Amino acid sequence: MKNCLGIINLSEVDSPFGLLSQNRPTSMLPFAGRYRVIDFMLSNMVNSGINTIGVFTGNKVRSVMDHLGSGSPWDLDRKINGLFLFTPTYDYTTINSKVGDIDLFFQNKSFVKNAKQENILMSKTYMLANIDLNAAYEDFIASGADISIVYKKVNDPMNRFIGCDKINFDARGEFESIGTNLGMEENFNLSLEMYFVKKAVYFDMLFDSIEKGNANYMKQAVLNSLSKYKIRTYEFDGYVACINNLRNYFDANMAILNPEISNELFFKHGQIFTKAKDEPSTHYQKNARIKNSFVANGCQIDGYVENSIIFRGVNIAKGCIVRNSILMQKTHVDQNVHLNYVILDKRTTVNQGVTLIGDPSLPYIGGKKAVISKEGKS
Amino acid sequence: MKEGKMIAMLLAGGQGSRLKLLTKEVAKPAVPFGGKYRIIDFPLSNCSNSNIFDVGILTQYKPYHLNSHIGIGSAWDLDRRSGGVRILPPHTDEQGGRWYKGTANAIYENISFIDELDPQYVLILSGDHIYKMDYSSMLDFHKAKKADITISVIEVPWEETSRFGILNTDADQFITEFEEKPKHAKSNLASMGIYIFDWKSLRSYLIADEKNPNSENDFGKNIIPQMKHDGKRTYAYKFEGYWKDVGTVKSYWEANMDLLSEDNALDLYDASWKIYTKNKHLPPQYIGSEASVVNSMVNEGCNVEGSIENSILFNEILIKKGAKVFNSVILSGVTISEDCEIHNAVIMEDVTVKPGTVIGKPDSEFVYLVSKNKIIESE
Repeated sequence: MKNCLGIINLSEVDSPFGLLSQNRPTSMLPFAGRYRVIDFMLSNMVNSGINTIGVFTGNKVRSVMDHLGSGSPWDLDRKINGLFLFTPTYDYTTINSKVGDIDLFFQNKSFVKNAKQENILMSKTYMLANIDLNAAYEDFIASGADISIVYKKVNDPMNRFIGCDKINFDARGEFESIGTNLGMEENFNLSLEMYFVKKAVYFDMLFDSIEKGNANYMKQAVLNSLSKYKIRTYEFDGYVACINNLRNYFDANMAILNPEISNELFFKHGQIFTKAKDEPSTHYQKNARIKNSFVANGCQIDGYVENSIIFRGVNIAKGCIVRNSILMQKTHVDQNVHLNYVILDKRTTVNQGVTLIGDPSLPYIGGKKAVISKEGKS
Repeated sequence: MKEGKMIAMLLAGGQGSRLKLLTKEVAKPAVPFGGKYRIIDFPLSNCSNSNIFDVGILTQYKPYHLNSHIGIGSAWDLDRRSGGVRILPPHTDEQGGRWYKGTANAIYENISFIDELDPQYVLILSGDHIYKMDYSSMLDFHKAKKADITISVIEVPWEETSRFGILNTDADQFITEFEEKPKHAKSNLASMGIYIFDWKSLRSYLIADEKNPNSENDFGKNIIPQMKHDGKRTYAYKFEGYWKDVGTVKSYWEANMDLLSEDNALDLYDASWKIYTKNKHLPPQYIGSEASVVNSMVNEGCNVEGSIENSILFNEILIKKGAKVFNSVILSGVTISEDCEIHNAVIMEDVTVKPGTVIGKPDSEFVYLVSKNKIIESE
C-alpha cells in the first residue's frame, strides 16, 4: 500500500463520554488495559503497509500530541514519509460552515497535494477493529472504482449503532446512499467510515464542495458526486466495536474478556502498537484473588478482582473488591474499597473503605486525578 | 580531553558457563531476568538514569541475541545524536585478528574508540549483575577523593567472603589491601566489578599490561594490583542496596524469587529509577475465571487458566486449566498443559510441558532446569 496516503480525522463536534472526554477526543479514550482507541486504526494502517499518515488532531490537541509524539511506537518516525500532525488553524478562508470537516480537508490540502501517493484512505477511529486494509485496498484498485467505502453487515437488535452511518443499496445491489441509522431495521449495512479515494477525485470533490458550498462533511461531498464517479463498497466481516457512547465504550472494554474477541483484535492481521511505559510485570501479592480479568503491566494487586479491565500501574490494596470495572492507568485503590460497575480515569485515588456502585447501563465515573473519600473526608 | 566527561565500557562477552543451558544460545548478559528483562538491562538502565550516554558494549560469546536486544539502544534512550550505545566486538587490524583475552585486554583493544570520545573518566561495568546504582554519585566520590581508581564495594555476609575479591580499607575508604577469595577475610567489603578510572592513567597501564607476556590481562588480577603497587590513589565506594551476581542456576532462581518477597530491596516499581528493556508490544495478560494467582509476577501476553503461586511468568505463557505451578521461573513462550504440577523449576523459552507432567517436588533443595529435551537438577 505504498501508493496510498492515510488520513485519520479526529475532529468531532462532541463526544458523549462525560468526564472521560473532558480533555480528550474519542480517539484518545484509554482502551483494553494499555491502548488508546486511535492505536487500532494507526496500527491497521501501518500493518497494511501505509507509510505516510496525516492526523487531523481536532481541538483537544494536548492529549493527542502526548500520545502520538513522533510516532515511534508505530514506526512512523521516519526521515521520509511517516507521521504528520495537523492541529486546527483559525485563518478560515472559506465561507463554508464550520460545523463539518470539509473545511479541515481544505485547510490541509497541501499535505495531500505534496504527497507522492496517488490514492487516499480517509478514516475515523471510533470503529475499532483489526482489519486487513491491504485486502480492501487491492479490491479498490482492481475494481477501477473512484471511491470505495468499507462496511459491515450487522445485526443490531439492541440498537447499539444508533446514529452511525448506514450504507444503502438499491434493488440491484448497487451502492445508493449513505444515511444515518435510526434503528428502523435490525439488519443493516454499517459504514465503518473508511473511504478509499483516488487523489484526483479527492481534489475534484473537495474543491467542488467548497465552491458550491453544498457539503459540510467529506462524506456529503462523496454523496454529491455519486452521479459523476464510480463508487463501490467493500465488506468487512470481522469484529467491530463501535465507540460512540459511554455504554458502548464500557461494553467494548468488557468484550475483551472474551478470548476469541481479544485474539482477533490484538493479533488477527498484525499487532496493535501503543506508547510504551516501561512498567515491570504485574505483581499479584499474597492476598490477591483474580477472576476473568484483563490486566496490564506494572500493577500491584492484593485484593479481589473479577470481570475487570486493569490498566498499567494500578494499585489495589488488601481487602478490596473490584468487580465489573475499568481502572485506568495509575489509579490507586486503598484498603477495603468496594467497586462495582465503575470507571476510574487516570491517576484517580479511592481512599480506604469507600464503596462505589454504578450500573451496567450507566457506570460510575471517577474523573481524572480525583480523590474519592468516604463521606467527603479527604 | 573533555573535562568531566565519563563514558561507560560494559563487559558483556562472558559465557557464564555455570548457568548451563541458560547460556547455551546467549551470552550471560542476555539471560532473561525478572519477568521481562535481560540481565544487561540493569547496567544499561543505570547508565541512562545516571546520565551516561556514551556506552561501549564489549561482546564476544554468542552475541546475536545480545546485539538484536540492544539494537541502537533506543529502549534505554541511548540512541543519541552524538555518542549513544556502540557494540564493540573483537576485530582485525594490521596485526591480524585477536579474541579478547581478558577484561583489561578487551578495553586495550578499543583504546582508539575511547580516544575518539576523549573522556576524562572511564567507568568499567559488567553485564552480569543485577542492581540499581547511580554511577554519577560514584563519580562525585571519585572526584572528591581525587582518586586514580575507585572500586565499588558492597558488604557481603562474612561466611561468603571466601567467594569474593575482598578489599580492606581505612577510615577514609582508602584501599589498603586486596585479597582474592581469602580464607580468613579481614573485611566483608567485596568488589562489585565496577571501576572508575582516570582515562589517561588507565590508558598507560593497559599498554604496559599488554606488553607483559605473563599477565592475564584482567582488571582484578593485574591492572588494579599494579596500580596499587605503584602507589596510585585507590578508593572504595560503598554501595548500599540490592546487588546480585547470578552465577549458578540456583542463584539465578533465587534472585528471581527475591522479587516476590515483601521487603525486596530491588524495587522494580520505583518510577524514579526505572529499568528499561526492549518493548514487545503485547496485549495485557488475561487471568481466567478458574485461575488462581498468588504472590506471583506475570507479564504481558500471558493467559492463565490454572493456578500459580510464588512464580515469575515472562511473556506469552499459557497456563492451562488444572495446571499447578509453584516456586518457578517460566521464560517466554512456554505452555504448561492441563493437570501439570511443577515445583522449583526454571523452564526455558518455548518449551511445551505435556499434560499431566510432574516436575520437581515440594520443599526440594534442587532447582530443575527444564529445556525442550531434558531436565537438569541443580543444587
